[in-house]
Amino acid sequence: METITFNIKRFDGERTWNQEYRLPRETSTLLGCLTKIREEQDPTLNFTSNCRAAICGSCAVQVNGSAFLACETQLDALLDTYQTTTLYLEPLNHFPVVRDLVVDFGPVEKGMRKVDAWLCPSKERRDHLQSEADFRKIAKPADCILCGVCVSECRELAYDDGTYLPPAMMNKAYRFERDSRDGERGKRVLAALKNNLWKCIHCEQCSSKCPKKIPVADEVSYLRRRAVALGETKSEGARHAFSFYDDVRATGLLNETMLALRTEGPAKTVANRTPFAIRMVAAGKMNPLHAPKPVPGIESVRRLYEFSQKMEKEA
Amino acid sequence: MQTYDIVIVGAGGAGMAAALNASKDPSLSVAVLSKVFPTRSHTGAAQGGMNAALAYRDPGDTVESHFFDTVKGSDYLADQDAVEFFVSGMPELVLELESMGVPYSRDEKGRIAQRPFGGASSPRCCYSADKTGHVVLHALYENCVKNGVHFLEEFNLLDIAAADGQLQGIVAIDLRNGEIVSFRARAVVIASGGFGRVYWTRTTNATNMTGDGVAACLRAGIPVKDPEFVQFHPTGLASTGVLLSEAARGEGGILVNNKGERFMERYAPDKMELGPRDLVSRSIETEIKEGRGFGEGMKSYVLIDLRHLGAEKILERLPQVRELAMNFEGVDMIEEPVPIRPSNHYMMGGIDVIDYKTCGTAIDGLHAAGECSCISVHGANRLGGNSVSEVVFFGTQAGKAAAQTAHRRQLGATDRLEELEARWSERFDALRSKSEGASLYGIRDRMAKAMWDGVGIFRDGSSMEEAEQVVDECLEAYRDVVIGDGSRRYNTAFMNYVEVGNVLQLAKTVVMGARARTETRGAHSRQDCPSRDDANFLKHTLVGLGGGAFAVDYRPVAVTKFQPQERKY
Repeated sequence: METITFNIKRFDGERTWNQEYRLPRETSTLLGCLTKIREEQDPTLNFTSNCRAAICGSCAVQVNGSAFLACETQLDALLDTYQTTTLYLEPLNHFPVVRDLVVDFGPVEKGMRKVDAWLCPSKERRDHLQSEADFRKIAKPADCILCGVCVSECRELAYDDGTYLPPAMMNKAYRFERDSRDGERGKRVLAALKNNLWKCIHCEQCSSKCPKKIPVADEVSYLRRRAVALGETKSEGARHAFSFYDDVRATGLLNETMLALRTEGPAKTVANRTPFAIRMVAAGKMNPLHAPKPVPGIESVRRLYEFSQKMEKEA
Repeated sequence: MQTYDIVIVGAGGAGMAAALNASKDPSLSVAVLSKVFPTRSHTGAAQGGMNAALAYRDPGDTVESHFFDTVKGSDYLADQDAVEFFVSGMPELVLELESMGVPYSRDEKGRIAQRPFGGASSPRCCYSADKTGHVVLHALYENCVKNGVHFLEEFNLLDIAAADGQLQGIVAIDLRNGEIVSFRARAVVIASGGFGRVYWTRTTNATNMTGDGVAACLRAGIPVKDPEFVQFHPTGLASTGVLLSEAARGEGGILVNNKGERFMERYAPDKMELGPRDLVSRSIETEIKEGRGFGEGMKSYVLIDLRHLGAEKILERLPQVRELAMNFEGVDMIEEPVPIRPSNHYMMGGIDVIDYKTCGTAIDGLHAAGECSCISVHGANRLGGNSVSEVVFFGTQAGKAAAQTAHRRQLGATDRLEELEARWSERFDALRSKSEGASLYGIRDRMAKAMWDGVGIFRDGSSMEEAEQVVDECLEAYRDVVIGDGSRRYNTAFMNYVEVGNVLQLAKTVVMGARARTETRGAHSRQDCPSRDDANFLKHTLVGLGGGAFAVDYRPVAVTKFQPQERKY
């Protein structure tokens, strides 16, 4: 029978090392494998798991650099995906590690406080009613099990200075912003804005890895649109977005010279980007005197704008 | 040693409801201990819904009807004063949860949606798709964070300290650093969950449902009430035991045997698949036993067919159920019927609560709520949809009562607390350095198999005697267990050691209660005593532990409105 190697990153509070375990290949979940290792080979190996049915959110770990819920992940699927018989397991990124694969979820509570992740019931409300359509707006974001997969996968957090709001909390902000029963609409949008809403790089890892298929990146886009609708158009993030939006509608192309100027303002751009701009001009990559003309077929581009605006209004 | 006015053990539905209510008084210091991060608690796994006679879907529904259904479902073993108190408070409580942000599914008028559930005479089960426990748990957590509730996460309860009927406090281990910590408190609420793990893998329960609070109470002198009443959920997924919600039957799922027969016609011609859980579980096991199941031995099963509902209804009402069947059984219920078999699901028994209004116990200062407790509102069999309701309702009561207790009571003495802290510290040190002895997991698995075989869905005198013998041997072997991890920091093996010790003691209470009850009532189904015996057994079992010996005692049931009748569906 085929043997599968689990190379697991260990940590005992001081020392970090990698340890290999071998199991015969069987139909099993990843959690089944970890449990077998602990019960049959090494009682010092630590990980967390409880419900084994993908609802408690305890058992997320990284396998070959991607986060998975161990209980619902089939070993066969991992081996097929990675075309290997060796799996590398590590604790989730962006959480303090306690021991081995066990992480501290304490930061989740702090994140929730940043966006007031609870219902602030509307004061006028007396009837306990909500339409089916309004329920559907919150049903998906309320699926979040706080498993930490999106937090671990977030590429912005990988390089962030610690001020960016993790995707799970963006989802919380969205969930309460959209709840028709809430009396403080806009509050979570502004809270997200204060916590660097515009820093999301739209890599979509949060959406694509979420075990509950919550479209977190789309929710971030929604929060940004709401921020703009609330008049928050002056931040660098908003100005950056408007550069793209306006340039492409005007000409079909991005004016890169103007992008930095409009995003950061002339003083900051000159201070920060002059040497870079000179190198770009010298290499023939940028012509500051060139103002792009509309591309052929610009009418179609503008029709796309109209179409998407219409779609958004209907939604 | 740390000191709080109120310590709550457990952060599931009951613990967090207690915490929210106890901490409304800003003059009281409140701490919530949980062996997991709060939203990992098992309340989140409840799928189908919570019962409340709101009379939205059926305008004719009443609190009285919910009262009767619950008593009848309990096979008349529930305390009727407690049940009446509980069901009367439920409609208001569901509305309060709605105001706290629980996203309930809605009917066409925008009211909280309700669905039919087993054993209920009206569709009164309020739900959020098939994730009701999940959304209730998260809404409670959100409100706890909002109100600044103080959580001590990853603290595992070890023992409760009491002397002369007076609470002193509790002893726990801080898993992250391995420190044994004692907590003095004026009031303690135990809300630590059930102990379905006495059946280890043949259960829908999470792996940490080991009855830590129930066993700690037992050691502190509070008996386990009605431990023999064990609910088996009819629809565990065949290969893993993972729960497939009762909503699958509630929405119209049909049970089919290997002859293609809708066999519930034989057992509950009126209610069919919507019979109560004990009856449906026994019906499935009878079909399997008589050769009308699929597969063989431990892998036998029957099918639940939902295809006639159509893709749209399944995706709208049972999205999680469908995903679970796909992920853990490899079957898409839109296309194929799903293999299922009964699995242990819920313990009707638990910490002996003697005052249903305060959830108080015989130890002054100690309250208990949720699945760990036995109030008793479920008697010999709990109705689906009554457990999420119970945890939030009695958690709320216990939290309010604990606040009153904290104002009334002074802090107790500390002698017993110090003694237990020292004893656990010694034990932890000894186990960390012990290198040879019996395998913890071997003992656990042996106990679980004996419990499943002897004290499972069908029971008789001799099968239970065998089971008790094995449990006794396991209790003995446990004394020489080795855990194999010398670390202080996050020692899961030590936590497992504590948990296995707890389920072993509780398994003993289950089998003792079951052997002594020579009748069939609710979930306790004896082939050698097939009928109910009200003359001798309309009473609660109390299994206590005193001076190292287990002993069985009884207490009368509170019968107020409904005289026992034969239970037919």
